[in-house]
Amino acid sequence: MSVATATYLVRRAAQKERVRILYRRALKDTLNWAVHRHLFYEDADLLRARFETNKHVEDPDTIDRLIADGEVQYNKWRHPDPYIVPWAPGGSKFTRNPAPPEGIEIVYNYGREDND
Amino acid sequence: MALRAAVLHHIRVPVQTLRLKTNPCAPSGSIRLMSSHDDHLTKEEVVDRVVSVIKSFPKVDPSRVTPEVHFQKDLGLDSLDNVEIVMALEEEFKLEIPDKEADKIDSCNLAIEYIHNHPLAS
Repeated sequence: MSVATATYLVRRAAQKERVRILYRRALKDTLNWAVHRHLFYEDADLLRARFETNKHVEDPDTIDRLIADGEVQYNKWRHPDPYIVPWAPGGSKFTRNPAPPEGIEIVYNYGREDND
Repeated sequence: MALRAAVLHHIRVPVQTLRLKTNPCAPSGSIRLMSSHDDHLTKEEVVDRVVSVIKSFPKVDPSRVTPEVHFQKDLGLDSLDNVEIVMALEEEFKLEIPDKEADKIDSCNLAIEYIHNHPLAS
């Protein structure tokens, strides 16, 4: 009996993590679409209300179905050109100036030839 | 010509090659010598900015915010509020935190530690 509740709790915890990650990605996407801050706040409130309406569902299968529906909707509304921080993968500065390998030095001989 | 060479030899700063690898005693954890990422934040600055971000969150009582506060236990916030706070910290410090890491940031302590140890926080 305690094994069943343990698996139930593990499943609920995994679902909660999926919900949090989905909310985070949806919020970032909302910021991508609604760049102006007052519009973003309104859209963020609407998104939060949509998450809050399903807050008290208890049945794990229903929750799974709701999360799958939410992810489908998120994939449908993803922005084609999201803002990514420049040094992150996908940003404009990613691997732009990599550190030179070890042991490489610059020899300041100002163009002198070896046989001078 | 010889005078010029003598004057230059007198003025010219002698070049010393810094040996970074043979310096085990210096704590080079937070100081990166000769690095282009040298705008590293100090711990007090990180703490101040994190606390100010959390205080300006509308669902939070500003007088109860300390640098060791736990978002869900002490401030009574929701897990979705936690996500919002982490996003606000990402925007403040121009970071990009991966989803799995962002899920684990639960308290002010963890946030300050993560941001302080992140090499590209600004």
